[in-house]
Amino acid sequence: MERRISYFKQKGDSYIFAASLGLVISLGMVVWIILVILTRGLSFFWPRDTVLVKLQNDSAYLGEMWESKTVYRVDAEGKEHKEEQFQLKIGNRDLYGRDFIWLTRAQVSEESDPTEAVTIERREYGKFFGFIRLVQIGDERFEQPGEILIEKAQEAHRLAIATRERIENTQEDLNNLMQPLANLQREITLLQLSPQAKTEKGQQKLAELQEEATKQEQSIADEYGILNQELERLTLQNRSIILTVATAEGAEKEIYFSEIVRFFQPNMMSGPAKAWIYAGKLWEFVADEPRESNTEGGVFPAIFGTVVMVLLMSIAVVPFGVMAAIYLNEYARQGTMIRFIRLSVNNLAGVPSIVFGVFGLGFFIYAVGGSIDQFFFSDKLPEPTFGTGGILWASLTLALLTLPVVVVATEEGLLAVPRANKEGALALGATRWQMIRKVVLPNALPGILTGLILAISRGAGEVAPLMITGVVKLAPTLAIDGSFPFLHLDRKFMHLGFHIYDVGFQSPNVEAAKPMVYTTALLLIVIVVLLNLVAIYFRNRLRKKYRGSTF
Amino acid sequence: MEMLQKDMEMMADTAHPEIPAEFFALAGEKIVIETTDLDFYYSAESHALKKVNIRIPYRKVTAFIGPSGCGKSTLLRCFNRMNDLIPGSFLKGKVLIEGEDIYKNGIRLEELRKKVGMVFQKSNPFPMSVWENVAFGPRVNGITNKSELEEMVESSLKQADLWKEIKDRLQASALDLSGGQQQRLCIARTLANKPDIILMDEPASALDPISTGKIEETINELKEEYTIVIVTHNMQQAGRISDYTAFMMLGEMVEFDTTKKIFTNPKEKMTEDYITGRFG
Repeated sequence: MERRISYFKQKGDSYIFAASLGLVISLGMVVWIILVILTRGLSFFWPRDTVLVKLQNDSAYLGEMWESKTVYRVDAEGKEHKEEQFQLKIGNRDLYGRDFIWLTRAQVSEESDPTEAVTIERREYGKFFGFIRLVQIGDERFEQPGEILIEKAQEAHRLAIATRERIENTQEDLNNLMQPLANLQREITLLQLSPQAKTEKGQQKLAELQEEATKQEQSIADEYGILNQELERLTLQNRSIILTVATAEGAEKEIYFSEIVRFFQPNMMSGPAKAWIYAGKLWEFVADEPRESNTEGGVFPAIFGTVVMVLLMSIAVVPFGVMAAIYLNEYARQGTMIRFIRLSVNNLAGVPSIVFGVFGLGFFIYAVGGSIDQFFFSDKLPEPTFGTGGILWASLTLALLTLPVVVVATEEGLLAVPRANKEGALALGATRWQMIRKVVLPNALPGILTGLILAISRGAGEVAPLMITGVVKLAPTLAIDGSFPFLHLDRKFMHLGFHIYDVGFQSPNVEAAKPMVYTTALLLIVIVVLLNLVAIYFRNRLRKKYRGSTF
Repeated sequence: MEMLQKDMEMMADTAHPEIPAEFFALAGEKIVIETTDLDFYYSAESHALKKVNIRIPYRKVTAFIGPSGCGKSTLLRCFNRMNDLIPGSFLKGKVLIEGEDIYKNGIRLEELRKKVGMVFQKSNPFPMSVWENVAFGPRVNGITNKSELEEMVESSLKQADLWKEIKDRLQASALDLSGGQQQRLCIARTLANKPDIILMDEPASALDPISTGKIEETINELKEEYTIVIVTHNMQQAGRISDYTAFMMLGEMVEFDTTKKIFTNPKEKMTEDYITGRFG
């Protein structure tokens, strides 16, 4: 018997079991996280049915059912009562001042799903749940309930949206028209503020500039008048396309159609119709700009910022990392010094990311950026150009952060190049550099790409260092656009990781924004996976080409 | 026997005063590689070659034989300074190739290695196409003319007896060739540099008998134009292909003579024991 036990110990079955349990738990948690993010993130956009709830105290609410739970309450006599509670999203923030209420079943006297209930997504104040009463297009009024009313409302909505687009275009024209004048006026203001203004020369220049400004003003006055009139007319036109809605309790509210993103009647919609709305909302999320302090609308600027930042980071980190690794591995004489350097590089990977952020702020922004401003953009000072956070500095900070990853992976890739191949190249009369370029680097490319993949994974998810090197809650412009020089490295940018933090914890309406957090997290994961897949695709192609190497 | 030896020593002394006694067999040959008291250390503790003196004749096949670890590969690698790559190693003594000390300052390693080509034990084609493999040497040595390269590739592959087999697959990856073809490709790659001397470090040890036969055939053809130094573990192979043989033991050169002599009537007892398989 004793022998058996010792054999059991020898085999170590219990340890194998413990090890496999560890694996199962880790895998389970990963799957669980992904499932939670997937379900919560993807279900957010599905148009939910609305319920009309009438309460004992004669008040009534229309809204979406979100959550329900059972609570036990102890009353004054010490008896335990079971209570069913549910959360209703009632929207209409402008009327109720809050988006959600908790109700108990006992309070409810009547519950129904009225088919004519509409859900209206507005540009401001979130959703409105209610009933359509009246559609006004200019002097025309429609108020017979029924399908025609909905059709008229849709017609009015299309008209309002078209007008809204024209307003935006006109505004842009107006801005373009005013741009030179605005620049001139800015120059005048800066001159007035500077000590130069007190000198005679300064006064003279100021007078010249002012004269120039007056001239410009006159020359664009006509066009400005026409555009302005057009703008006024369109704005007025949109003010006359009005939807009157009523809440569950009958309070009426007027909404401009131009302020409505979309509206639908969820209780009478079929599955495919809902799917269509779902697809539209998903597209809006990916392709549009955020509204309502980021809690609604899309996250396109954040996606764009994340991708551009990761690309800039890769462009910066790969050459430096590869060069460093090549020197360490191929040229430097291996010894204590090199061992120390290698150790330092590895330790760099363990430095908290916020430290890198502080370094980026101190070195890149204040030292480098400040000097650039003094040498090249001194006319704009004290307003900083590069001396403030921007996408370039954030990318470089992250490049520094991910440098060790690339160095280590590249070194491993270099080590994996068969010695025989290196010797073969040297024996054919190749110089060391020719050997590295023609034999070692192509062979090590898969390893370098592994480094890049790791760097992307680490860099794309990093938020802390970005917060002090250039990320903002809402960036008015993208880092790449149609205006010269197309790539604006000095601009601030939005980032999905920061977006999650901002929406989830800094927005005025955290409860309503919660699903947005999951959706944004999902998107961030998707983007990191996509960027990785691209790199993995190239790595596999290279691997096929250089079968000799193990990376 | 004693008479004969004395006779020969006398001959060596009178006819070729510069050739030491142990190389009297080389009388009449032009010497290409010459070492004097060559010591090689992998590190201060590891003394791999001990006072090695050797002469390698022009356009002949010279084989190095000896048990594992006797320093024959190390000696071979001294001739194109591949040992330089080993950190901590150092060398004493002289290696002259065509009369020039290759360890003196100012020697360009690339020039030396172009002149003294090397084929390794394990075939090491680069992960490129066959054509690019063969053109590698000429390219790194500055030849860019496409037609010149084409010509070099073709003639090198022909010399290595590979042209007929793979002339239609020049753009295929060299890694797709068979083991024997890969090794002959490595020979062709070395030939493309138009070397004077080819060093071969057990070129057939990883190959099957048929591929080995082909490599030996190739070597037989090549010795018309090249000086070949080959390290081999295979006694029969040394007997079949080499003109001269050097027997090494524990870092020392024990005996050097014509292959025939070494295999039939060696001077040293140790050589005889090794050849007849009493140890090793």
